[in-house]
Amino acid sequence: MKNLIRAELLKLRTVRVFWAYVAVALAGVPVSIVLVMTGSPGAASLDSSEGLRNVMSAASSGALLVLLAGILLMAGEFRHNTATTTFLISPDRRGVVAAKLAAGSVVGIGVACLSFLLTLAIALPWLASRDVEVSIFSRDVGVVLLGSLVVTALYAVIGVGLGALMSNQTLATTVALVWAFIVESFLVGFAPEIGRWLPGGAASALSETPTAEGGLLPLWGAALLLAGYGLAFAAAGTRLVVRREIT
Amino acid sequence: MATIEIQGLSKHFGDVVAVDDLSFSAREGAVTGFLGPNGAGKSTTLRMLLGLVRPTEGTATIDGKRYPELAEPFRRVGAVLEADAFHPGRRARDHLRVLAVAAGLPLARVEAVLAQVDLADVGHRRVKGFSLGMRQRLGLASALLGEPDILILDEPANGLDPEGINWLRQFLRAFADGGGTVLVSSHLLAEMAQTVDDVVIIANGRLVTQSSLSELAHRSRSGVRVRTPQVETLRDALAAHGIAAQLVAADALVALETTAEAVGLTAAGAGAVIYEMTPEHFNLEEMFLELTTSQGASR
Repeated sequence: MKNLIRAELLKLRTVRVFWAYVAVALAGVPVSIVLVMTGSPGAASLDSSEGLRNVMSAASSGALLVLLAGILLMAGEFRHNTATTTFLISPDRRGVVAAKLAAGSVVGIGVACLSFLLTLAIALPWLASRDVEVSIFSRDVGVVLLGSLVVTALYAVIGVGLGALMSNQTLATTVALVWAFIVESFLVGFAPEIGRWLPGGAASALSETPTAEGGLLPLWGAALLLAGYGLAFAAAGTRLVVRREIT
Repeated sequence: MATIEIQGLSKHFGDVVAVDDLSFSAREGAVTGFLGPNGAGKSTTLRMLLGLVRPTEGTATIDGKRYPELAEPFRRVGAVLEADAFHPGRRARDHLRVLAVAAGLPLARVEAVLAQVDLADVGHRRVKGFSLGMRQRLGLASALLGEPDILILDEPANGLDPEGINWLRQFLRAFADGGGTVLVSSHLLAEMAQTVDDVVIIANGRLVTQSSLSELAHRSRSGVRVRTPQVETLRDALAAHGIAAQLVAADALVALETTAEAVGLTAAGAGAVIYEMTPEHFNLEEMFLELTTSQGASR
């Protein structure tokens, strides 16, 4: 199993598209901070708890790109016919999918940690220049850090599962982007009574991002819900890969 | 000891019967050519042997075990099923490293197989810049990583230039001479005739014949093509005299391993009318075509 996980990580590290995903994920951090810091006048004051969490939530801005990396891990095997050799080395396909889920989570946690450090590096001096005092050991910062770790790791799991279910990498990537940017952002923003039950709504709740309608789930509920999505995608994806005929 | 055993193997894809009650074996120390026209079911058979496709019926085993039951399959069996099974953006050496890590093999094996297939100088290049021939060799390098004693190759000569085919032949010959088992599929007998020891010929998912190449060559030299309105009568009469015959058209058959004299006597005895009789000196390729197309016509 350890060998399979190492191999999955090596697969990612040896293609440039993965590093492009990581770069875009990290580039999302300053973009997100700038949007909040220079945001609309109606938003929560940076002095407040909500305002701070808003800024710090930049730490999970790479989650969607990590999800795309999860799709790459699984659907990329079918796109490039490498699934054949992968399953010849390990005929136990459950083990292969499990290794991909583990590797994806490692990437997710890594990206979340880097994003968090980057967030601190950009936001702390900026907030200080605006005379906003922040303790990095405060509950608000802790919640956002933990939340972004959970969200990003689980998004990787969802990505691997989606890649297994759709197996067409381009299609799965398009579906994920349209879902996140159009369907989910609309529902979370304008119909939170539906949006809160979606992965994106749960992800927002996990950084306690205040929304206009304030309709998101509590932390624990969001964590359970997102874990449920991860489990469902992973289980359905594994089932399909195990049954699939590799022709 | 390594033998491949296919027993009563069938595969249905919906209503389509891709492989139909197929049985044959491949022995160690020999190159077995697995021959048949495109669409005959060769790839499906190989994929069932390797646990990638589930058989509808029957078994395919390696040393008596199904592929997924082998302890370390990648160290026993090396397989190349697709000419192009690489991420185009990955460097050739990295591709092999990924496989070595997954299979728990030392990274020194990567350099060894790159040298073995003459790709050591281009290992740092991304696969998208590789020619089809280079990809075939990289595929072979992947199969050799685990130092297997069995090689299973699906149409490895596709896209190779004559020099590449020659290289492949010598490689397979040496592998078998070293005690390895080679099962190699092709839709062209000529491609493989100089290399294989045994042939397994299939058409429409069914076994046409399994024999040694020399036996097939012997059979092929002594055919007699007969045009007669009573193909079935003549075929049965020939069979009664121990002469095999293949129906090749509504009014023609080819009597195998025999002479015009023997066919003429048999026909006279059976009272069969003969319009035309031609002793044919088939080459192997024509023999192969006869065998596979007549099988197709009879279904």
